[in-house]
Amino acid sequence: MAMAKELLKNAREKPCTLLYPFEKTAPPEGLRGKHVFVGEKCIGCGLCARVCPAFAIELLGGRGPKMSGMKVYLGRCLFCQQCEEVCPTGAIKLTTDYELAVLKQEDMVLVFERKPPEAKQPKKE
Amino acid sequence: MGKREFTIHVGPQHPALKEPENFVFKVDGEYVVDVEPRIGYNHRGIEKAMENRTYIQNLYIVERVCGICSNSHQTCYTQNVEELLGMEIPERAKYIRVLLAELERIHSHLLWLGVAAHEIGFDTLFYYIWRDREVVMDMLEEISGNRVNYAMPTIGGVRRDIAADKIPKYLKMLDVLEERTKFYKNICATEKTVLARADGVGFLSKEDAIRLNAVGPNLRASGVASDIRADSPYLVYDEIPWNVISYDSGDVFANVLVRVDETFESVNICRYCLEHLPDGPIRTIFSPLGKVPEGEAVSLVEAPRGELIHYIQSRGTDKPYRYKIRAPTLGNIPALCEKLRGGYIADIPIVLAGIDPCFSCTDRMVFVDEDRDKRWEMNGEQLRRYGVEWYK
Amino acid sequence: MIPPVLSSLIQVFIFPGFIFILSYAMFCEWVSRKFVARLQNRVGPLYTGWEGILQPLADSIKLLAKEDITPKAADKFVFALMPVAVFALPLTAIFLIPIQSLTNLWGYSPIVSFEGDLIIVLFLLSVIILSIFLAGWSSANRFGIIGATRAALQMLAYEIPLGIAMIGPAIFARSLSIGKIVEWQAQSMHNFLSAPNLMAIPVALLLAVGFIICTVCLLAELELRPFDSPEAETEIVHGWQVEYSGKKLGLLRLGHDVKLVLASALLTSLFLGGPIGPWPIPPVVWFLLKTAVCVLILSNASALFARLRIDQMLGGSWRYLAPLSILYIMAVQIIAGLM
Ligand code: SF4
Ligand code: SF4
Repeated sequence: MAMAKELLKNAREKPCTLLYPFEKTAPPEGLRGKHVFVGEKCIGCGLCARVCPAFAIELLGGRGPKMSGMKVYLGRCLFCQQCEEVCPTGAIKLTTDYELAVLKQEDMVLVFERKPPEAKQPKKE
Repeated sequence: MGKREFTIHVGPQHPALKEPENFVFKVDGEYVVDVEPRIGYNHRGIEKAMENRTYIQNLYIVERVCGICSNSHQTCYTQNVEELLGMEIPERAKYIRVLLAELERIHSHLLWLGVAAHEIGFDTLFYYIWRDREVVMDMLEEISGNRVNYAMPTIGGVRRDIAADKIPKYLKMLDVLEERTKFYKNICATEKTVLARADGVGFLSKEDAIRLNAVGPNLRASGVASDIRADSPYLVYDEIPWNVISYDSGDVFANVLVRVDETFESVNICRYCLEHLPDGPIRTIFSPLGKVPEGEAVSLVEAPRGELIHYIQSRGTDKPYRYKIRAPTLGNIPALCEKLRGGYIADIPIVLAGIDPCFSCTDRMVFVDEDRDKRWEMNGEQLRRYGVEWYK
Repeated sequence: MIPPVLSSLIQVFIFPGFIFILSYAMFCEWVSRKFVARLQNRVGPLYTGWEGILQPLADSIKLLAKEDITPKAADKFVFALMPVAVFALPLTAIFLIPIQSLTNLWGYSPIVSFEGDLIIVLFLLSVIILSIFLAGWSSANRFGIIGATRAALQMLAYEIPLGIAMIGPAIFARSLSIGKIVEWQAQSMHNFLSAPNLMAIPVALLLAVGFIICTVCLLAELELRPFDSPEAETEIVHGWQVEYSGKKLGLLRLGHDVKLVLASALLTSLFLGGPIGPWPIPPVVWFLLKTAVCVLILSNASALFARLRIDQMLGGSWRYLAPLSILYIMAVQIIAGLM
């Protein structure tokens, strides 16, 4: 019967359950969530893809100036932030967006475009 | 087998086990006569995966050996690599690692307490404890950016700093945790139905505990005051004042008390760390593509469930040549079988849960040939040759 | 005027029979789930209907639509029959309990009534547990068999104090008919209010003791915590119900709800004056109110305790409950003799 008092207390209080899709908690600063990619900053070094423990990053068009974009497979990603840590220019970053549920498998892949700076586009055929 | 006995299988799918593992019980009415554990349902090949990844990538693989003691595994791994590199990490990083480890212990022990309450059918207590455990989860989330896999220790230090202006808030959260844990200790000690289910159940004598190599809280509940943090201190555990908790009665109730009291100790260690956090850098640089010199190392960490052993062998490349993990639950299984024998069927879940099992870290691979009724194991070299033969 | 045949049909099938009881049983399940959830600081059922009030109905419909599996080794006939029995028996027992008469708004009468129907109710309670035992046994599952044996053991231990505790009010009323017992309570309440006498105090005290014994035994009968070891989920995976699925599981769940209503209805009629209450409110409302209170008491107990082991449960019954109930019945005899 040791719990009787606590039970009565809780019956009077508001339930601690959050009705999730309608009520949300603000994610704490620094939560590791969905990626953003700033195409202009990226130098195409490919370090992020190399350190990723889950092989979740795919460079489109190869490394260096040829690189035309990036695919991030959220289904594989561990949200370890190693890609952000290793990126020399801060082009890839994790945001605090934690709502990643999607209905189709294709939507689990983030596709980012990268427009390489005009000057640095040597086209050697 | 006598006429009156029959076997029941607990697991691989059973509500009392949160992970797939099989225990074959020989029972006589409501009594357990004998038990045979069968491990291996959840072998994930983590050690092999680690041999194929670089040292930085392995940080996050090793973290996923266990969902609850993820930080212990990572700490153990980084200690190994740092030893091979001959790297000394900054003081501040050490304190932050200890802080993380102790927060993780609080979270793990409260989780266990809730699960134990659920196993004896006390769901109300389970809900309350898990509700209040959210405090420590929030704290971990704020410090590290994730609730479960903190990814804080890295080779050479830790990855995130603790903001000075957040410390008073964290200290307040620790007060809440301490107060609530006191309340739950009181409930466990006074509620008659809990006592009826925990007191004297699943007994393990001191001699048996030592003979069967029990580890962690399970060992300390049998009256052996042994803790890696005290016996071979790592990080800064020798600078921090704290006590090793042990109880003599060796039953489930002693397990409860050991874990609750350790939670108090952990709260105190966290307070000490937050108040005495030294200034300075939080990491020394290790290149993400760096190589590690040749050699081997072993490191020990006191995970929430007991003694955790990692072994590493490097051949001077950017990937470990061999990695070996011995998680605490494996050490506890023989003792667990001893505890289960002679008990009631009704006590199986609570005694099983009493060692706080974590089977997916435990699983080993054994080859079984059913037709010829043979079982064997292979060492690394044999396994390599077997693989070569297989794909030829 | 409604012809008598039609009126009995309405009584049996619509009000206060089948449909009424069934919807009330689901309502009780909702009350109990919501209440336990609030005690545990949760919200409980929420989305189906107002505050989730239709959740039990939704659950039943879902179960009706699910695949129904019969294990190969099971005794097919018994396995299929027992859920029906577990559902139908408590429903039958409720017919013997006075709720509301169809023709007179202020009158109450059970659907069937005769001298000795209390004994029939007790008998039906035992048969329910027997069918639970057979349900577990016929499923040929080891956990099911363990659960079935536990249920049978529990029945042996708790049936006796339960029976004795229920006989108490019958001795006072000098009748074995539930309707008469209710009338006796109304009568003595009336007498007490018009001419208070000291004799009422021991009677009320004894009835309170009987109420407590009865509640404890009914907790065991309903397999609610702390006496839920026949279906202990973490130990033996829902015990005797383990092999049931689909329609049969749905029936078992409904049966459990009806049993909950039966238990509270018994407590209400034997100790709380049944459907009788101050005048402006019709009996059926009183009945519903009082049974809802009993449901709350029963579900509160299930949030308050941990599950006892079967041996502790049996020991508790034989050591404390059985002697207590015998003392109680002796006291009842003496007091009733003095009156
Ligand atoms: S967060 Fe980690 S797993 Fe995810 S893409 Fe970046 S490096 Fe890969
Ligand atoms: S995102 Fe950063 S690390 Fe990745 S290719 Fe671009 S610059 Fe390199």
